Amino acid sequence: MNRLYLLARLAGARVAIETREVEAVVKLTDISPVPGMGAHVAGLSALRSRVLTVIDVAALIRGQPTPIAERGFAVIADIAGHSYGLMVDAVYDICQVPEGELPLRGQLDPAWLPHARGLVEHEGQPHLLVSLAGFIEAGALAQAA
Amino acid sequence: MDELLQEFISETQETLEALAGEVVAWEADPSDRDRLDAIFRFFHTVKGSCGFLNLPRFERLSHAAEDVLAEIRADKRSPDAATVSAVLGVMDRIAELAEAVAIGAALPQENDDYLIAALTEREEDAAALGMESMEPALAVARSNGGQAAPRTIRLPLSLIDQLMNGVSDMVLARNELSRKLRERIGDPELESAFERLSTCVADMRDAISKTRMQRVDRLFTAIPRMVRDLGRDLGKRIDLTLEGGDVEMDREMVEMVVDPLTHIVRNSIDHGIEAPEKRRALGKPETGRLKLEARQSGNQIVIEISDDGQGIDTGRLVDKAVAAGRLSPEAAARMSEGDRLDLIFQPGLSTASQVTAISGRGVGMDVVRANVERIGGVIALDNRPGRGLTIMLRVPLTLTIIPGLIVRAGGLHFAIPRAAVVEILHDNNETLVVAEVGGAKIATIRSVRHSMIDLEDVLGMEKPAQAGPRAIMVVRSATGVPFAMGVSAVDNHEELVIRPASPLVMATGVYAGMTLPDNGKPMLLLDAAGLANAARLPNILDDRAAQQAVEAEDAQGVVEMVAALRFEELSGERRLLKLSLIERVEDVDTHLFGRSGTRNYVRLDGRLVPVANDHHRFSGTKVAALRLRDGAREACYPVAAVLDIVDMPAMPDMVTMHGMLSGVAVIEGEHLEVINPFALFAALPDEAILEKRGGRCLLADSEDGWTREILAPLLRQAGHEVVLGLPSDAAVDPQDVVLFTGADLSETGELLGCRVVHLRATPRPSSPQDGSIYRYDQDALMAAVAGSRA
Repeated sequence: MNRLYLLARLAGARVAIETREVEAVVKLTDISPVPGMGAHVAGLSALRSRVLTVIDVAALIRGQPTPIAERGFAVIADIAGHSYGLMVDAVYDICQVPEGELPLRGQLDPAWLPHARGLVEHEGQPHLLVSLAGFIEAGALAQAA
Repeated sequence: MDELLQEFISETQETLEALAGEVVAWEADPSDRDRLDAIFRFFHTVKGSCGFLNLPRFERLSHAAEDVLAEIRADKRSPDAATVSAVLGVMDRIAELAEAVAIGAALPQENDDYLIAALTEREEDAAALGMESMEPALAVARSNGGQAAPRTIRLPLSLIDQLMNGVSDMVLARNELSRKLRERIGDPELESAFERLSTCVADMRDAISKTRMQRVDRLFTAIPRMVRDLGRDLGKRIDLTLEGGDVEMDREMVEMVVDPLTHIVRNSIDHGIEAPEKRRALGKPETGRLKLEARQSGNQIVIEISDDGQGIDTGRLVDKAVAAGRLSPEAAARMSEGDRLDLIFQPGLSTASQVTAISGRGVGMDVVRANVERIGGVIALDNRPGRGLTIMLRVPLTLTIIPGLIVRAGGLHFAIPRAAVVEILHDNNETLVVAEVGGAKIATIRSVRHSMIDLEDVLGMEKPAQAGPRAIMVVRSATGVPFAMGVSAVDNHEELVIRPASPLVMATGVYAGMTLPDNGKPMLLLDAAGLANAARLPNILDDRAAQQAVEAEDAQGVVEMVAALRFEELSGERRLLKLSLIERVEDVDTHLFGRSGTRNYVRLDGRLVPVANDHHRFSGTKVAALRLRDGAREACYPVAAVLDIVDMPAMPDMVTMHGMLSGVAVIEGEHLEVINPFALFAALPDEAILEKRGGRCLLADSEDGWTREILAPLLRQAGHEVVLGLPSDAAVDPQDVVLFTGADLSETGELLGCRVVHLRATPRPSSPQDGSIYRYDQDALMAAVAGSRA
């Protein structure tokens, strides 16, 4: 279980994302909003000739859209044939975690409950393991609701 | 092993697709050894490969089919319809199994034995039934002959998409470079090198887009099989013709067109083509004809589906619409044939009297139209009641490039397919009235009422204040009910490269895709039908004809405006005359005007036309004249000047009937007299007289100086045709008048059968019996020439 994880901060929490889900991390530039969508879809952004659907993950978790000034980085992922950019507060590192995924411990904030898959420990710090595809699914659900 | 399996599955699936048509063709012509061999080879290959890959069910099925086909090859058995059905059944099962393997699902546990039994069971009674059952249900003709496939390689679609993206990136990089170059001082060498690069990039882009192209054949592969099966189920015989399979269109487009096309073909067989007995009774050949034709026309692909069935019964459609409460009977009565036919695209309406398993299950032509329009296509019908129906699909060559309009709303830009927009107006346009009632907005454009929405409202955006007028677009949604949509402005018209938006965005239902314009800011493509749905617009058939009639009546009650010509009379007054009466305005040579008795005439186009006002002498050589016509009669109205065309109220503001005037109208603050067309034409001389004026004046004394120099010009000027001397061949019309001065020619006149006028040189008659007229008594002379003709 020698997996690579991308460590980032998301909605105020430390998270780990499996690197096989991640295509790239970019600094967000212009985002064209998509009116008529929930707050969790921040808009569309062009990455060279690709168009990313930018997901405000914090909005998905907390229900509050991230202020435009605080928009930082996006993790680019290709999910089901479409390109998405998932907004994160900050990106720390990509590192190998020999022990891999650990079961969840402690009382998790209900907002995080649908998204956290487990824990990943790095340098003594626990990180919530999240899945990008899971966020997209949750986004689709939030929309249907 | 995995790779081998994948290869096997995709190869099998592809061959199956191609073979479906072959089997049917083979059934139509069992002697076609090539096709039989091709099918046999397929089963043989499958059997061989799956033994190796350890797929026992594949093996068993293909083995059984191969056995039967081998017997047919050896002429031990005839390929009757049941056998073909069984072979097709096995092919279907193999396709299902392949699909299951491909997605890694468990193999469906159906009983293959049944299929295999169906294959073999005919062996006993084949001889009994013999050749009677051999009648094929379907004959397939392919115009473009052989199936010789071009040399190809198999590529994963993702690789092509990657290439496509790469080229798009390249184009963007090129654009940026071009911008940078323009900022610098021109260097011809650099520029020419850059030009070369540009050309290469453009070529490359073209080539890459070609890789996405696919032959329409692929669209057609499933059709023969379907037609055959449906024909058998419904007991109809169909002669299918496929043409233009070599036309190429975008791969994605092919996929989008499959469903509508399938649906149309189903409809055509189920509802269009009649059962053989009925066709016989109607005097049609028993075998119905169905023709699918594809061709390229500009940057569109036209797919035509025509049958020789019963066409669409528009009467029944209207009845259904009325019964469903979508249409009032009065409105129905006013509909044109085209509007009636359009009802077929209304959801839930179908001419099918009963729901069958094949069609009429609620998925109707409305869905077909919606699907076609979603990809920027157009659907058109050519209905020949009792004789057939032709449906024409026009779809863009590629899905990815459509002409679109860029609109602005709420500070953002959106694209909308050009095909969805009927017209664009500014909200200060006079033909547009926007009314609000109970929160609903209604835009009345040229007396047609549309539901009106503001794009900002539908999308939940702020509507920023703006200085200029907003643009109102009349948008036709896929269901065919147009609505008005307000946006800040319509900015541009562009060819847009459309790409699918992510499912999250598509789920809103108001977007059809997205595009990345040169400015690098992604833009969303609006879906007209989706917007109408999102705004919950009433989808009730708009009774346009009725509304227009009602509006016209209303308008008459208020102020009906008619176009009128403003002109200046020769006497200097400015007057108005209804424009519809004026045939044309032209400059007429003044010498063509003349006077006869108290009437004024002008010779125009070889005819004498009465002059409507009292003028026949003018200064100058030309005068502007209005040519008037009340339908039958014409008149000429010389004027000093034609000013302009204005709208005047149909009823003058002040009605004062006197003479040729009907009243006074106020146009732009100017009081203008309005000519009363009734009085104008009533004052004209009788048409009958006018027509008889065709008679000639025969001047008997052609040698006489007075006759030549004075009488002839006078008569000519009065508009008469003058002939000097009596015609030698006595070709005299009873209409003609003979004038003479010298010897009494009364008898001659009687002989000729026409009237004579005797002119004398002295003012007094020589005797009381003298019927002659003093030659300088112009009135009497004219009256004698003209009046006596009546």
